[in-house]
Amino acid sequence: MLLINRPLVQFGLALLTVLALPLFLRSGILASEVLIYALIAAACNLLLGYTGLLSFGQGIFFGLGSYVAGIFLTRYGVPVWMVLIMATLLGAAVATLVGWLSIRRQGVYFVMLTLAFSQLFYFLAYTFSDLTGGDNGLMDVPRPDLGAGPMNNAWSFYIFVAVSFLVLFALMLQATQSTFGRTLIAVRDNEERAAAIGFPVKAFKTAAFAISGAVTAYGGALKAMLIGVAPLANIEHHTSEMILIMTIIGGSTSLFASVIGAAAYMILADVLSQIWPRWLLLLGLALVCVALFLQKGLWGLIEKLWVMFFQKDQSLEKKEAEH
Amino acid sequence: MTYLFQVLNGIGLGMLYFLLAVGLSIIFGLLQFVNFAHGAFYLLGAYLTYDLVERGMSFWLAMPIAALIVAVVAGVTEALLLRRIYKLPHTFHILVTVGIALFIQELVIILWGPLGGSVAAPDGLNGVVIWGDFIYPKYRLFTIAFTAVLALVLYWALERTRLGAIVRAGSESTENMALLGYDTLRINTVVFAAGAGLAGLAGGLVSPIRGVEPFMGVEALSIAFVVVVIGGMGSYVGALVAGILVGVVQSLMATIWPEGARLMIYIGMASIIVMMPRGLFGRA
Amino acid sequence: MIGRRKLLLSTAGAGLFLASPGLLRHASAAGDVLKVGIPVPISGGNAANGKYASMGAIIAAEEATAKYGREVKTFDLDTEGKPATAVRKVQDAIQQEGIQLFAGGILSSESLAMGKEADKGGANFITTAGADEITGTECNAATFRWSVPTFGAINQSIRPIIDALPNAKRWYTITPQYVFGEGLLQATKDVLEEKGLELVGNSYHSLTEKEFSGYLTNAIATKPDVLLILNFGAQCADTLRQAVSFGLKERMTIVVAWASGLEQFEALGADLCEGIYFGAQYWHTIDSPANAELVKLTRAKYNENPNYSLAGSYICTKLMIDAAMKAGSTDQKAVQAALKGMTYAGLTGEEHVRPEDNQVIKNYYLLKARAKSAMANKDDFAEVISSGQSFLEVAKTGCKLS
Repeated sequence: MLLINRPLVQFGLALLTVLALPLFLRSGILASEVLIYALIAAACNLLLGYTGLLSFGQGIFFGLGSYVAGIFLTRYGVPVWMVLIMATLLGAAVATLVGWLSIRRQGVYFVMLTLAFSQLFYFLAYTFSDLTGGDNGLMDVPRPDLGAGPMNNAWSFYIFVAVSFLVLFALMLQATQSTFGRTLIAVRDNEERAAAIGFPVKAFKTAAFAISGAVTAYGGALKAMLIGVAPLANIEHHTSEMILIMTIIGGSTSLFASVIGAAAYMILADVLSQIWPRWLLLLGLALVCVALFLQKGLWGLIEKLWVMFFQKDQSLEKKEAEH
Repeated sequence: MTYLFQVLNGIGLGMLYFLLAVGLSIIFGLLQFVNFAHGAFYLLGAYLTYDLVERGMSFWLAMPIAALIVAVVAGVTEALLLRRIYKLPHTFHILVTVGIALFIQELVIILWGPLGGSVAAPDGLNGVVIWGDFIYPKYRLFTIAFTAVLALVLYWALERTRLGAIVRAGSESTENMALLGYDTLRINTVVFAAGAGLAGLAGGLVSPIRGVEPFMGVEALSIAFVVVVIGGMGSYVGALVAGILVGVVQSLMATIWPEGARLMIYIGMASIIVMMPRGLFGRA
Repeated sequence: MIGRRKLLLSTAGAGLFLASPGLLRHASAAGDVLKVGIPVPISGGNAANGKYASMGAIIAAEEATAKYGREVKTFDLDTEGKPATAVRKVQDAIQQEGIQLFAGGILSSESLAMGKEADKGGANFITTAGADEITGTECNAATFRWSVPTFGAINQSIRPIIDALPNAKRWYTITPQYVFGEGLLQATKDVLEEKGLELVGNSYHSLTEKEFSGYLTNAIATKPDVLLILNFGAQCADTLRQAVSFGLKERMTIVVAWASGLEQFEALGADLCEGIYFGAQYWHTIDSPANAELVKLTRAKYNENPNYSLAGSYICTKLMIDAAMKAGSTDQKAVQAALKGMTYAGLTGEEHVRPEDNQVIKNYYLLKARAKSAMANKDDFAEVISSGQSFLEVAKTGCKLS
């Protein structure tokens, strides 16, 4: 394994990102958002990269998480830590259901099924406006108060987000390194063989969904607290599409790849949208270029550069060994 | 009585949905390619028709010319871009076509502005026909007839021509095609262009009904997906039946429970995939 | 080790590059410049409104610069039409740029969220968005609204029609299912009940709907005298196009309660609109000194007539600037004190900021679209047939500002 893909190094890079963002971004909100999306893209990567499942349903869990935060923080005054746990559990539960139904189909049909579910949940949220606020969304979602008053300054909330990010990122790294993670990769690479050996393939895929959904819902709750609203847009299929794009741009060969993908997407979108209102045109071009020239994403590029500059000898040795 | 009217209206709507979806279905059948840019080709067809009519061209000329331009654009895109990525996983098909869709949508806004506009129905098709209590626009009646004729022509092309036979053979196995010695690359381009051209034609045909606006492609794409999934990917008959089914359900729901119309359609789509993964008419 | 440091350095370089537009903008915004944030959708589905809103705000800023001899600058903040993005941009503008005056918000959802944010962040916000809650149940001290809410829009658009058409007994409504639509529908029901008229049917539809033939078929079956369309923008255009193609114009009176303005007529075309009634917040032919001035300025700068998006943004920006000048600062409380109760020469004649709920009291208009042959110029799509003011009493709005 490349040095930069080792779990400890990956965690180090995540830590570095957390420390570096405040140096380069003036907006604490943008920085917090980058970390939230980094977390969610990593959760999406758990499905895409490690399990080989292209899910168009990540927005469902994201929206659910923000609704849980909106409903229980504003209407019932449930403490923040409990709300976060509730969001996580509900995210896991719904993801289990969606995952369990979706993995019965493969390839394009799987993608279409997750797409149908994402539309389904959007219209559910839209129709049951008593619960979700419909198009207005839920407002006045408070930020957590850990004894020192509510975190009105975006940077103090950033610390809260950063700690969450590091803990969950470490847990996901742990999951990918465990037997569970290795089995997922085995399933991804050759499902039939994994099934033949006797792995309960479906259970593993569903579990991957549950973890992904739990983390995504946690991120949704964080986002609602950050912005102060839980809007309908969070559960739209556009959100799912954006999460997928971030993940694919980052690459799927390591978890930190998704952090790079999310950061690149968020920061470039912020800069470009200030320069040119039609910036989505450039995004469209960028997506095409990624598919043509950067199939392993930005992380793949970094890997390549790394090998070129620092592990030349190793790769040479490897090639010679292959001969 | 209202229900009967709604069914009639739904059939009219369904024929449009068929035209919208059939190209997507054929492309998927032959190329195993999920085309998220299908809605953008529909959008482009509508705007080109609008533009040509604004320049004083007759609608009858503008609509086919617009569809032809869309087909050429799509064919060139296929030849230069898409054929490089067929072998990659679906992830990249989706990435590229989402990229193309965004590109076309923003280009439309740059070229024609964000506001949209109306296309007048051609002379002679303004006004309505009245049967008792049932009122129906002449132009919508025309679209039903037009789409029905087109459906027959398409059916004939698929069943009776060499290209059709190849497409059908290819849907079953691309290797078949290669074994038979066909130039698969060229056939792929032609089929992709034709599928996109049909979407462009649908856009032009719909423009007098709905006008044009830059985000019309997004909604069209989701309808096309629903129709193709329910009918069975790659199935011509499936697209026809599912198109009409979706149209009728949508129209009936307008009377029964309008708030739940979309909800019903997506529940239907999800249950079809879970229970009949190949759709109603897909090949097993 | 060397490797990691190199990596760090290159990341740092990229970061600096990315952050620089923000830094530059910050530097140029320093000094004694009065800054107004214009949070509107510049990209995304409502980009057209955002573009005009930005243009209108610039006119207000230039006019104020000349009038007060102090530089006034507007800062476009692209909300993308999404509440979350809108809130982030407003929070950032407050914390990074020190902007305390905001005029914008096209969609109800983004405006509600931004109003809350302005209140929390020590700023003030004025909008033209439609949802009643903005100056109703969700009102706050920092959120002001120029446009007439649903109650006034309905009363001013359908009462004149009821008076003019005594035979219009049966009404049918098409309503988008969210609070804005519900507000319009409720107001309609109240007026119809008071007048002893019948609502023979209503069709709800979702915000993503583009196909209205099913609803129109429903409407036709109930044989109404009036079709009242309660949706907005692109959906309203779709409904109208399809209603006209179903020949409804010949069979009943068609009324749009909340037209989006001149740009809607341009997109639909005069032939299609002819004979249809439109309720409107603003029309460029309104006879008032302030409007005459705005029309003059807009024609001079952009060579076109102002539409609702442009005019609404202009007057909102102007109100914020005038209040800040009057208060002598952009401090939240001082600007609020200056705005509350302010009476001024507005676009629709004399306008007044009601202090109890921060709602501007102004005229609402009923337009009737002309035949193409009767148009005096390319923008002369409609004549104003009535105008007036209807507002709920403060006690009934649900707003509790104290």
